[in-house]
Amino acid sequence: MLQGTRIKAQTNVALPFTFIIYALFAFLFAQLIILLQTDVFMSGIFRIPPIWMASHLLVLGFALMVVFGAMYQLVPVALLTPIYSERLGFVQLGVTLVGVTMLAIFLGIAPQYALYGGIITVIGVSLFLLNMFLTILQQKNKNIITAFVIAALLSLFVTIVCGLLLVINIVTGFLRVHDPLLFSHMTFGLVGTFSLIIFAFSYQLVPMFSLAHGHKNQWAKTACILYVSGMMTTVVSFWFSNENMLLFLIGNGLLLLGFCAFLADIYDMLKNRLRKRLDKSFSFSILAICFGFVCHVFAFGLAALQITSVRTWGILIAAYTMTWIIFSILGYLNKIVPVLWWTHKYAEQIGKEKVPTLQEMTNEQLNTILFLLFIISFFLFIVGLLLTLKGVAVFAQFIFTLTAFTYVASLLRVFSK
Amino acid sequence: MNIKEEIKQALYEVIDPELGINIVDLGLIYHVYLDDATNDITVHMTLTTPGCPMASSIKQGVQLRLEQIKSIGKVTVNITFEPPWTPGRMSEKGRMMLQQR
Repeated sequence: MLQGTRIKAQTNVALPFTFIIYALFAFLFAQLIILLQTDVFMSGIFRIPPIWMASHLLVLGFALMVVFGAMYQLVPVALLTPIYSERLGFVQLGVTLVGVTMLAIFLGIAPQYALYGGIITVIGVSLFLLNMFLTILQQKNKNIITAFVIAALLSLFVTIVCGLLLVINIVTGFLRVHDPLLFSHMTFGLVGTFSLIIFAFSYQLVPMFSLAHGHKNQWAKTACILYVSGMMTTVVSFWFSNENMLLFLIGNGLLLLGFCAFLADIYDMLKNRLRKRLDKSFSFSILAICFGFVCHVFAFGLAALQITSVRTWGILIAAYTMTWIIFSILGYLNKIVPVLWWTHKYAEQIGKEKVPTLQEMTNEQLNTILFLLFIISFFLFIVGLLLTLKGVAVFAQFIFTLTAFTYVASLLRVFSK
Repeated sequence: MNIKEEIKQALYEVIDPELGINIVDLGLIYHVYLDDATNDITVHMTLTTPGCPMASSIKQGVQLRLEQIKSIGKVTVNITFEPPWTPGRMSEKGRMMLQQR
């Protein structure tokens, strides 16, 4: 039984808010760079400084910073354990923001100096990992969400180590294994860190937002084992399977099966929900799960057909990043920010005076339009890339960027409620 | 209105901010103990899910609303998940409100 008279909010809101606000601006900058570099995307050459900058702003500056902010807020409630050290969290905030900003800028304009940003980023991420592992150590009853979080944090650690080695290699050229290292970096980052953390969040948030009751999470352990095994097998295939793609195919098969197990649990939750009308932000995150599944099916198909085209895989990775990872985050963020702000502003007023509900803090009509535009413009962008229609790709990315600006403005408006 | 009525009324005024439904119709209140001698009150309540980010706010809402009642003594709010909340605890009105949201 949780006893007490007055309760302090779980985490100082300045910590998650700063990460999230930085993330929103990084998201906008990334979209602007992609808009200005649509030509490069058309050519299928992805390994150039502007793309490094945009991808790191999107993945590190936006997605990872949202994950950091959300974890500082949600870990105490999801794992029922307070953050080990808020002070360490604020130190990590400062170090990480400086590191990520330097890394992204240097990758774009002077890659030879990116190492400095990389080192600071690694220090910042390491501080986060330390804080989270110490928090998890304090947790009394560990559960499947803990397993997903640990797997995601370990993946994040390996991702930053691989990333640092890649940056050192760009500067010194001492490694002869650049490609396997790059592919491992991307797999641990996108498939490991982000997918696993979205799995963890979803197991917590989907039943909560849909008011599901009676669901069993019976596939959660299977999903965790299969997905982590798939990720490891895929990474091993980059290093030891030069001639045939069998190991790569097995890895992608395991990832697909792991995702199916996760999907089965989400379906079970939604089937057992009491709340029939889901709000738009949450529905968008659910749709993102479906997109993630489709991307895994495509990845398995490409691996089965032994397709190695960099352009094809590049487009699939872009689709996986945007439609599964970024869309999931955009949907959940639209739910998390009002909760954070409401807790900050109204926690002392509830019971004393009339306070707004969370639904009254966002504009559902606008959300519907924004999420539709995100989906339509991104798919139009992909069509433009696949058919090499520059005008279509530029137009689509222009709409996407405009939608991103409106989304950010709409989210920032929550702070005026 | 006697104090018991006032307490009941006060609890109806605490709204779950995510669902927009009051905590009584949601079936979150398990027991309310009133000490007739001191007017101290102890509320045993639950939440729809253990990892609810609004948990502390809802608990605080109950605390603050009850403290507004004149002549009330010390207010203690306990959250328990034994037994866990089930949809069967919702009132008919609560169910109808949920369908509309």
